[in-house]
Amino acid sequence: MWGDWHQLWEIMSTPDNVPIVAMLFLVPFYLWYWHRQAVATDGLITQLEADPALAKTHHRKVFPWKQGWDREVHTWPYLMRVEFLAAIIITVILMIWAITLNAPLEEPANPNLTMNPAKAPWYFLGLQEMLVYFDPWIAGVIMPTIIIVGLMVIPYIDENPLGNGYYTYKQRKFAIWTYLIGYVFLWMVMIAIGTIIRGPGWGWFWPTQTWDHNRLVFEVNRDLHTLFGIHNRLIAGIFGGVVVLLYFVVAGYCVHLICTANSFTRKIYKRMSLFQIVTMNLLLVLMISLPVKIALRLLLRIKYVWVTPWFNV
Amino acid sequence: MAENHNDDPILKKSFTLALLISSFLLILTLAWSLYQEMFGLRPWRGYQATFVESYTKYLKKEMPKQKSAEDAIKQSAEYQKLLADATAAGQAADSRVKEIAAERSFVDKRLQVLMDTFTTERGRVTALEYAVETAGSDSARKSRLKDVEEAKNNKTTVELPTQDGKVEKVTMNYDQLLAEFLRLKGRQASLGAEQGTLLNTVRELRQQADVYFKDHLSGLTEDQLRSLLTAAQKLDPSIHQINVGGAGLVDRCQSCHIAMDSKVVPVNLPISKADLGFAENNNAPFASHPNPELLRIHDPEKFGCSPCHGGNGRAINSVEQGHGRYEHWLWPLYYKENVEAGCQSCHAADMVLEQATTLNRGKELFRLKGCVSCHRYEGFDNEGEQLLAARQQVRTLETRKKDLELEIPRITEQGNQATENAIANRLYQKASDLRVTTAKIDAQIEQLDRRAASLMREEKKLGPSLKEAKMKLVKEWIPYWLANTHTFRPTTKMPQFRLKPEEVQAIAAFVWQNALTGPLPPKQNPGNVAHGKELFETRGCMACHAVGEGQNAVGGTFAANLTRVGEKANYDYLVRWVHNPRERTRPYDPIARVDLGPEDYAKFNKPFVFDLENTRSPDDKHEVQVQLPTVMPMLRLSVEDSRDVASYLITLKNPDASYSSADFMDDPKLKDRGRALVKNYGCASCHEISGLEDEGRIGTELTAEGSKPIERLDFALLTEDAKYGKLPHDLSGAGIPKRESWYDQKGFFEAKLSQTNIFDTGKLNPQLKMPQPALDAADREALVTFLLGSVDPQLPQSYVYKPGDTRRDIQEGWWVVSKYNCMGCHNLRVGQLSVLSGLPQYQGDTKDKLPPQLIGEGARVDPAWLQRFLENPALSATDTNRNGVRSYLAVRMPTFSFSDGEIQKLVRFFAAYASQQVPYVPPRLDPLTVAERAMARQLFTHPAAPCLKCHATGVPAHDATAIAPNFLLVHERLKPAWTYRWIIDPARIAPGTAMPSGLFRKEGDHMVFNGPLPASFHGYTKDQADLLVRYMFQLTAEEQRTLMSHSPAPSSKPAGK
Repeated sequence: MWGDWHQLWEIMSTPDNVPIVAMLFLVPFYLWYWHRQAVATDGLITQLEADPALAKTHHRKVFPWKQGWDREVHTWPYLMRVEFLAAIIITVILMIWAITLNAPLEEPANPNLTMNPAKAPWYFLGLQEMLVYFDPWIAGVIMPTIIIVGLMVIPYIDENPLGNGYYTYKQRKFAIWTYLIGYVFLWMVMIAIGTIIRGPGWGWFWPTQTWDHNRLVFEVNRDLHTLFGIHNRLIAGIFGGVVVLLYFVVAGYCVHLICTANSFTRKIYKRMSLFQIVTMNLLLVLMISLPVKIALRLLLRIKYVWVTPWFNV
Repeated sequence: MAENHNDDPILKKSFTLALLISSFLLILTLAWSLYQEMFGLRPWRGYQATFVESYTKYLKKEMPKQKSAEDAIKQSAEYQKLLADATAAGQAADSRVKEIAAERSFVDKRLQVLMDTFTTERGRVTALEYAVETAGSDSARKSRLKDVEEAKNNKTTVELPTQDGKVEKVTMNYDQLLAEFLRLKGRQASLGAEQGTLLNTVRELRQQADVYFKDHLSGLTEDQLRSLLTAAQKLDPSIHQINVGGAGLVDRCQSCHIAMDSKVVPVNLPISKADLGFAENNNAPFASHPNPELLRIHDPEKFGCSPCHGGNGRAINSVEQGHGRYEHWLWPLYYKENVEAGCQSCHAADMVLEQATTLNRGKELFRLKGCVSCHRYEGFDNEGEQLLAARQQVRTLETRKKDLELEIPRITEQGNQATENAIANRLYQKASDLRVTTAKIDAQIEQLDRRAASLMREEKKLGPSLKEAKMKLVKEWIPYWLANTHTFRPTTKMPQFRLKPEEVQAIAAFVWQNALTGPLPPKQNPGNVAHGKELFETRGCMACHAVGEGQNAVGGTFAANLTRVGEKANYDYLVRWVHNPRERTRPYDPIARVDLGPEDYAKFNKPFVFDLENTRSPDDKHEVQVQLPTVMPMLRLSVEDSRDVASYLITLKNPDASYSSADFMDDPKLKDRGRALVKNYGCASCHEISGLEDEGRIGTELTAEGSKPIERLDFALLTEDAKYGKLPHDLSGAGIPKRESWYDQKGFFEAKLSQTNIFDTGKLNPQLKMPQPALDAADREALVTFLLGSVDPQLPQSYVYKPGDTRRDIQEGWWVVSKYNCMGCHNLRVGQLSVLSGLPQYQGDTKDKLPPQLIGEGARVDPAWLQRFLENPALSATDTNRNGVRSYLAVRMPTFSFSDGEIQKLVRFFAAYASQQVPYVPPRLDPLTVAERAMARQLFTHPAAPCLKCHATGVPAHDATAIAPNFLLVHERLKPAWTYRWIIDPARIAPGTAMPSGLFRKEGDHMVFNGPLPASFHGYTKDQADLLVRYMFQLTAEEQRTLMSHSPAPSSKPAGK
């Protein structure tokens, strides 16, 4: 049933989902806000690069900036008062939140009757959504580990000092796009899907579609090798391995192309050691594999690419 | 740095306004949170404040009222008189009391003065006496004795006060002192006693006045109200909580429902919303519990509130949460119409529960409408199950026995072949062991068979046996009935199945072809319709059956409405049925699974005879089913009478009715399809059907249906509608109360019972086969109440009502009483009226035409006799066309052919319900002396109350007008203690009885006949009522005959005084 606004309201108004609903608005807002600042700063950078004399005397790194303004301002009170104001506003918001919305407690757990849909806390919904696309070993163990390791190695890969303390797009294009794809697109969107789209039976329900527990959907997912008529498990395993390997080669090459797309990135690229390059390339290839797999599953109904007795990809 | 930076926004921009606003907001939120903390999350504070306010007003309003009521009583003549009596008595005693007081004060003073000297002297003397006792030698002893003498003779002078206030000097030795001391002490005591007696009389009179006052004042006194007022005004807002640790129970309901707290509003001050000035539709949660009697049995301090009412006892944040009416609380508060559901969780084993009429009705309907036939429910009618289990065991044992019987000769043969003696002996031994085993199996089978025989008597099917269909029914009527069940008979127990025409044909064909074909009941001549009608209306048929449709229906609803019975039944069969409804065409052998015919009996050279005395199969191996499994009892009508009744019944038809011919019913091709359908729809749950005798129940078990999680109740395509409170169109006329959401157990049950296939709405392939029972809205609500209460109890098992004593007998007895509809004819409970007593033919002065009321039956009759009576209510093996006790009643106590277990349950039930001692030992009555016998005879035939005028004697001419039982039954039937109470004051035991009251009057401590007594009674000091009882218990038939001649001619008028 379409046009069920009651259903949409029920999802959106659940106390549990408040952070996600807020996120739907806050993330775009702050992206836009960042972008406005970054464009302005980039303009300033261009201006200063064109006028080295000016750059020597004045380089408050943030926009707006006018001649005659101080190069530096004191933390106290100029920063602290803004932070103090922010602290007050956040306190007000949290208090109102605490007053109006109760903790989403439910009935005592009944092991004979599990809830449907059974959802993880909102910040884990992205991980739960990943389970749709990979086998639990990959989605639940390998991927989260790689994500954490990947986040940890960022400072060791990204040694570019530009962009510290001010907003810029021009100087950090690569990093920003990685963030947009890896975090905003993959992580945030998957959380939103897990919250708003996934209904009973973890089925796909568009907004305003009723979450009907009785809904039946006929879908058959296939493993890639069966599309090629391969049924021998050994051959299928080898086939899948080859395909995955192929993906790594192709995707790695693409990442390499992107890293060396223009003179600026080439400059940074040249500064990196081989180990740094390989690590970064591998991590990016792994990150991209997630949307690739999502596309394969949702568009082509392919369950696994590589089936082995130990794990499936 | 001191450059021109005046316009630098970071330095210059002012945050004052933003800070001001956000600080202001912060303070506001802080205030808000404090408000939430104090009131928002604690609505009970507000409620309590409102309550105190209105309660104070109420008390203040009541106080002057009570004051004037008090005054009115105090002004009343009786009270004034009582008070005056008390005052007068006080005054009368006053002068003497004063005298006593004066004398006492004098005695006290004198004693006080004397005391000093006396105790000194006594101390001296006793010390010297001690020295004598412990003296070492005789001489020492002597000299010390002398000292004692001296001390005693020592004179002392005491200045004692005298009566006239002066002082006299008295000189006394020790003995004189002692005498004076004892005299004064004695005087003191006697004066005190006298004063006590005097004042006691006064006090008693005062108390009488107080008691009078208390008895006449309704409500509390002004002082009590005032103390309540003070307490209410001091009431601190706090959570009122009941906490029973052992049961895990925490109920805070009284925090808002504060008037339920007996510490705030005492139980004897019931207040309603109106008392407190609230409209009835106001949501103010203030009123006392409407049923204090229930609270007395279920002390709230032990039971709390939520175990009975549902709801979340701990939650006090909001009405919604406290009442548990939200998604995540599994036990929402029961709605008003279902409030008795709460009783069921602990009283599941009670068929009849005082004060729970809706629930009782629900249970009755669950049985009556045949719900229990398809849905198992713990404790309900499980004879069928037990029977199947017993039969299964018998079959298993027989197979084993057969195997062993083959084994024995084989082993014996091996023994014969054995070459060695030892081996042969061992084999022979083994064979003989096996023979012992088979014997044991035989015994086991025998035992199971006996149990099965008893169960077969108890097992009743709700619908008629379809084995008899071909003999009983009009052929063309069957398909019509299947398709139009409720059109033909709107109140029938048979639910309407949703059958396609081809299904109707197939089922009808199966029923027809599957039924027995003979031996046919004998051909009967037509009977007298008018006499039949009279019999039908007077023999008691109408306690269960009604005639007339809709508003015109007259009679009971327990069994079928017979308005159109003439259209469906065959006359010959009907005669047999009326004569004995339990009579089978063929007995059924449950082990062999066949209906036995004459040919089977002929194989064993036995006559084709089967009844309750001949219950063995022709091969004498098993008990067979010899009765039809119907609850309808045998009324012991003669064949002629049965013919008349049947003739009358056959005239009951709609003259315009006609049924299209149904030749397809003989089409053998339809039979298999029909059998599959019959199995699918579970017809064998209610009907006995050849070949399907062992079918089980087809419905889901409902014992704990009320606690089934909502997710397990399939609302199917109506789920969303239910959540948003949208009733499907089909239910719009069902009278279901509109609610915001009906996605809960109550909503499911209501919808399902209103239209059993409602949850197939919109389905391409309907799957729900539950048929539609005939229920009105009240019936439905009763069943919903019953189902809602059918839960796994939340409370510990110790709370569940499982009595182990006589109360258990009561509990079990009700099941039997309700199974056979005893209450159709008899009143068993105070306030319950039998069906018969409501019929038009019993209106007016007809007390003596109705069956006896059985309140206190256990106190009246000897249990051993009751057992015999229930076995055979005619109390005779030959003369059965009559009542055993009340032969003068037209209405007939039928023969129910109870199993022994059922009779035991009934007998114990009556004993327990009348609080009788078990076992009953008949008391020994003193034999009558010759003189006593003569006197008793005179009482018995006294012209003021000639007993035999109304009581039956067994002489037909006399009994034609008798309206009371025969005395010859007294000795074995009645209990002497009850009989004594009965003849003293029958109207108290059975209001409205024709038996006259006031036959005896009390004289001293014994009863005396209330009428002129012959001279022989002079000097007789014993109890005359007791004399009469003893006489009655020793009355012989011969004696009665003799007395008959002395009795006045019987008349139809009851003897009254």
